[in-house]
Amino acid sequence: MQWFLNLSTKSKIICCFSFMFVLIAIVIVTAYLGITATTQSQKDLFHENYTVSLDLVELRSDQNRARAQLLEMMMTGDRSKQQALDRDIRERSGDIDKLLKELAAAQKDDQRFMADLQELVTVRDTYRNIREEQIRLILGGKIEAARQLGLGPQEERYGKIRDTALKLEQLEKDQAKQRLAQSEQRTRKTLVIFLLVGVAAIFVSTAMTLAMNKAIANPLTEIAAIAEKIATGELDVNVPADGRGDEVGILTRTFRRMVENIKGHADTTRRIAAGDLSGSVTPQSERDVMGNALAVMGRSLRDITREIIEGVNVLASSSSEIMASTNQVAAGATETAAAVSETSSTVEEVKQTANVSSQKARTVAEAAQKAVQVAQVGRRSIEESIVGMGRIQGQVEAIAESIVRLSEQSQTIGEIIATVNDLAEQSNLLAVNAAIEAAKAGEQGKGFAVVAQEVKSLAEQSKEATAQVRTILNDIQKATNAAVMATEQGNKAVEEGVRQSREAGEAIRQMGDSIDESAQAAVQIAASSQQQLAGMDQVALAMENIRQASEQNVTGMRQVEVTVQGLHDLGQKLKDLVAQYKV
Amino acid sequence: MSEDDNERQRILKARAVALAREPEQGAAEESRIGIVEFLIADERYAIESAYIGEVYPLKHLTPLPCTPAYVLGVINMRGKILSVIDLRTFFDLPDRGLSDLNKVIVLHDGAMEFGVLADAVIAARWIPRSVLLPSLPTLTEIRAEYLMGVTEERLIVLDGGKLLSDRGIIVHEEV
Repeated sequence: MQWFLNLSTKSKIICCFSFMFVLIAIVIVTAYLGITATTQSQKDLFHENYTVSLDLVELRSDQNRARAQLLEMMMTGDRSKQQALDRDIRERSGDIDKLLKELAAAQKDDQRFMADLQELVTVRDTYRNIREEQIRLILGGKIEAARQLGLGPQEERYGKIRDTALKLEQLEKDQAKQRLAQSEQRTRKTLVIFLLVGVAAIFVSTAMTLAMNKAIANPLTEIAAIAEKIATGELDVNVPADGRGDEVGILTRTFRRMVENIKGHADTTRRIAAGDLSGSVTPQSERDVMGNALAVMGRSLRDITREIIEGVNVLASSSSEIMASTNQVAAGATETAAAVSETSSTVEEVKQTANVSSQKARTVAEAAQKAVQVAQVGRRSIEESIVGMGRIQGQVEAIAESIVRLSEQSQTIGEIIATVNDLAEQSNLLAVNAAIEAAKAGEQGKGFAVVAQEVKSLAEQSKEATAQVRTILNDIQKATNAAVMATEQGNKAVEEGVRQSREAGEAIRQMGDSIDESAQAAVQIAASSQQQLAGMDQVALAMENIRQASEQNVTGMRQVEVTVQGLHDLGQKLKDLVAQYKV
Repeated sequence: MSEDDNERQRILKARAVALAREPEQGAAEESRIGIVEFLIADERYAIESAYIGEVYPLKHLTPLPCTPAYVLGVINMRGKILSVIDLRTFFDLPDRGLSDLNKVIVLHDGAMEFGVLADAVIAARWIPRSVLLPSLPTLTEIRAEYLMGVTEERLIVLDGGKLLSDRGIIVHEEV
């Protein structure tokens, strides 16, 4: 039995169905043989017996009809009708001949039948001949003779023909009955064989179905039951070990591995659920989706838990800090309340001060008005001084012009002096030349030499005089230049004075404008001080409100302190909770 | 006041002494020479009047190419072309800065005539031949050659005849 189990499922199915096919083939062959035999016997029955009987009946009927028509022919006197009947009778006679030939051809193997048939043919030939005679007589109008001829032996012959036909019919009927009985017997035999083979096939099929069921369906059902359990989450199952080599065996082993794998994952999951995150999961392969997911989950949970622990620590410390801060804030709120009280009294003092400043602002506005008038007077004075400066400038320019003219004239004097000097020089040379000439003249030129000496001395004196004039002229030129420079500087100083006066005028004008603005500002300040006074009243009111609010703040801070204490406790609790997880 | 009087007295006395000096005549009556005294670079020179034609102011000097350095150029003196010589260069005197050099002293004898530049012509006068001392041995040969004598007043008297007859003055150069 073990070899069958080790066959692959495909082989098992092919084996079983082949066996079934063999059985079915046996049944089909048996049925086919029985039915073929029955069909053959029926065909024989129809062809040999039934057809012959019908032919014989038809033969009898034709014979009767021909006789009736002969009688009718005797009865009627109408010639044309007699001739029509005659044609009918001959036609019938042809039909009978044809039937007889067919019968002889069909039953030529049956000796008994052929003997009777031969007798019938002989009697009928005689009968036909007599009838031919009768018809001739009738047509010849000898009806009585025809009738006489029809009686007696002709009557007997007709009876003999009918009896012989009946006898032949009976013979065929008996033969048919006999064949029917044979056919029935064969059918019964065939049925018995068919039944026997069918029952055997049913038994064998049932047996094989049961065997297959036991070999394939039962293990599958068991595994399905286990899978059902696993599907509902129950992992406490035992897959039986099976050494079978077919697909069921493979399925069982694979299923076993799968269950072990799931159990392993379940253990890991249970460990993680219990809070032990320290272990790591090794996936079986790259494509181990669940193993990989578990590994990732373990890592992620570890990381998350670590972060949560850090977060909780931060939360706990933060809540401590918040508590401390809240205490400080509460203290601050108390201080604020005290400060607000002080501020209220200060506001009262400020109000007094604002009153004083309002009065001062009015005084300042009046003073500013006076200053505006003073500024206008100053401006007029400055404008007058600018006009005076302009006059001075004109006069200085005139002086400068005169000095320049003087300078030009002294230049001309210088040129004249140069000319005189040149003349003196030439006179000197002339005197020397005269002396030379006088020397050449010897004793006679002595008086001339004295004159030349005098001329020379004069020339030298005039040279010295020109030198003195040049010196004086140089002094004059230096003085003139100094005067030109002085007038230039005086001119510049006057211009500067004009410019400064103008600036001073502008400054005084701007000062006047500023004082004007200051006066307006002082008026505005007075108005503002009034408003400030009113505002200070409102501020005092507001300070009262603030004081109330700060008291409420203090109360509120007490509540916040309580809340923060709760938060701190929560932080501690979270810390304890998180400590359960081993990372 | 007394100071001024004393000063005045002293000046007057000095003038009187100067005026009271005996003129140096007599002995040197027969051996006087006429000279023309002139300045070149703050040094006083003189040349015998006999060789001097006239004194003329320097105007329109035209430089002359292809001549020695001491020939400054030529001038037009009343329609007469006259070459002008710089004695400083001629005597290889040290250059002592710029000077006027705006007078021309015309030297001439029967054969030769040229001008000599001078800063100023001081005077034409007579001196006795005896006051002339021979030249100093320290003087260079060139200057010694043209020197007639030196007076006590450091007046250098040049020999006009030698200057006029010197072959170096005649320039004959072809380019």
